[in-house]
Amino acid sequence: MSDRDRGAPADPNASTDPDTSADPVDVAEGRERRADDIIRRRQEERVRTAIKDELSKDDTGDERPRPEDPGPLRGALIELERVDLAFDRPILEDVSFAAFPGETLVIVGESGTGKSTTLKLILRLLQPDNGRVYVKGKDIAPLSFTEALDVRQQMGMVFQSAALFDSMTVFENVAYPLREHTDLSDDEIEARVKEKLEFVDLAPDEVIEKLPAELSGGMKKRVGIARGMANNAEIMLYDEPTSGLDPLTTGTITRLIMKLQRELNVTSIVVSHDIRSAFRMATHIALLADRTIRFFGTPEEMAASDDRYIRDFLGGF
Amino acid sequence: MPPLLNRLNDAAKRKLHSLQDYFILAWNALRFIFARPFYGGDLVQQMDAIGVQSLGIVLLTGFFTGMVLALQSAVQLQTFGASMYMGRLVSASMIRELGPVLAGLMVAGRVGSGIAAQLGSMKVTEQIDALNTLGTDPIKKLVTPRVLASLIMLPTLTIINDFVGIVGGNLIAQFYLDVPTSLYWRTVWEQIASDGFLFRFIPNDFVQGLTKPLVFGAVISITACFFGLNTSGGTEGVGVSTTRTVVTSSILILVLDYFLTQLLLSLLVAP
Repeated sequence: MSDRDRGAPADPNASTDPDTSADPVDVAEGRERRADDIIRRRQEERVRTAIKDELSKDDTGDERPRPEDPGPLRGALIELERVDLAFDRPILEDVSFAAFPGETLVIVGESGTGKSTTLKLILRLLQPDNGRVYVKGKDIAPLSFTEALDVRQQMGMVFQSAALFDSMTVFENVAYPLREHTDLSDDEIEARVKEKLEFVDLAPDEVIEKLPAELSGGMKKRVGIARGMANNAEIMLYDEPTSGLDPLTTGTITRLIMKLQRELNVTSIVVSHDIRSAFRMATHIALLADRTIRFFGTPEEMAASDDRYIRDFLGGF
Repeated sequence: MPPLLNRLNDAAKRKLHSLQDYFILAWNALRFIFARPFYGGDLVQQMDAIGVQSLGIVLLTGFFTGMVLALQSAVQLQTFGASMYMGRLVSASMIRELGPVLAGLMVAGRVGSGIAAQLGSMKVTEQIDALNTLGTDPIKKLVTPRVLASLIMLPTLTIINDFVGIVGGNLIAQFYLDVPTSLYWRTVWEQIASDGFLFRFIPNDFVQGLTKPLVFGAVISITACFFGLNTSGGTEGVGVSTTRTVVTSSILILVLDYFLTQLLLSLLVAP
């Protein structure tokens, strides 16, 4: 099953009021129904498009025909539905995919194909020109700036450069989201910060008072992960988490992302061009090429693909 | 449309768009002064960076400007036998013009460039995006405390600048013109009182001298934050933002000084 199938618009018969929590029954149901839903919806969409084309033959408008809004995919934690985005040139066209609870979706592709832009759409730092972005079943495009800040609090983001606040210590960095958005006492915050630092294999007593400038690249990334998960986020987004790291540290960060999925059932969306790491940690891989998703599937499906571009992209791997 | 006109059209649109963004930033920064959450710690930190740490440079410039002003005027005043008016001349010049403008230019150079460099670095290292993703409005967290701190500290620095400038003038008057200190300070007060009072107890000179730094403080901090937050192009971009901040705010200070003087004179010295 290709990504385009998986990422097709949702079943029009599906509930318009989806359960957005990570209810295991719903998730399992969603997964089971996904393949059937998608094939059926794809067929319906083709029929609708054909009818619309026929009806609009006299229409001089050049807008691409689009199916009616089918609503979010049931059980999906994050879904992009036929997203278009352009700045001075088209960046993304007709991009669709979904991530379900507990999955690690790795988005790979050449540089400049819009991988990081996809994360910005999910965070609503950017808005799509067309299409929808659903987070826990809610379309985030119409949200106000303040409402968007609330949505972002449910996600943790790890930046390529770690983006730690350089005027703050490691403790202050990890404690920042807790101080901003919770009523936790100082003791509770300290305990949470130490817990998260231990989770990312850092010794709290050794690093807590250090400034980001005193940390190595790998340590910065780990502190970034600790800060992202400080609020016990259900969704973690990573922008090139292994970029610029040595092979050993790359392995450590990859294991950490897998540990988050395994132990805390965190849903992760990872943007990377590190194919080796992607194959290790991904439950699904999306390949962005020519402004759209060229492949979507499991790592095994990708490895078995006969598509020439995919074979070239994977290289000797 | 010919290509040249097209390009001019695009450039004009971009400039107008930037201007609109500038005023939106200014409006939001001022609006958030009254909106929760309040970043009190950041405000105190910025007041220290903008005010306390600028004290040295302001003291130096104010003191020497007052002395130079007195020295240059001394010859002329002696010629006409008007040495006793030294206090009036120095205080009027310092309180109305030189104090606010010099403090503004010093703060634009020292603090404006610092703010632009800091926010620019945060922008290019994705720290601004990180704030956004952590559910914090960067304008509320970064811009509002800096603007509020400038609004408080620039008038304060101006008062200090005025005072040390007048003290500098006093030294020259005393040792160069043999004008007694008591006479000097009496003429200073006569000058302050001569222009009338607002609400019967606020000298009009003070109104003029303190309105200007309030406006300059807002202009410097908002300009610095605007260029800082719009930095692109890595470390080179940070340098460009810093330069633009200093040049733009210095020009704005001098231009606005003229228009503010016109406005205040027409309001305060109205017949």
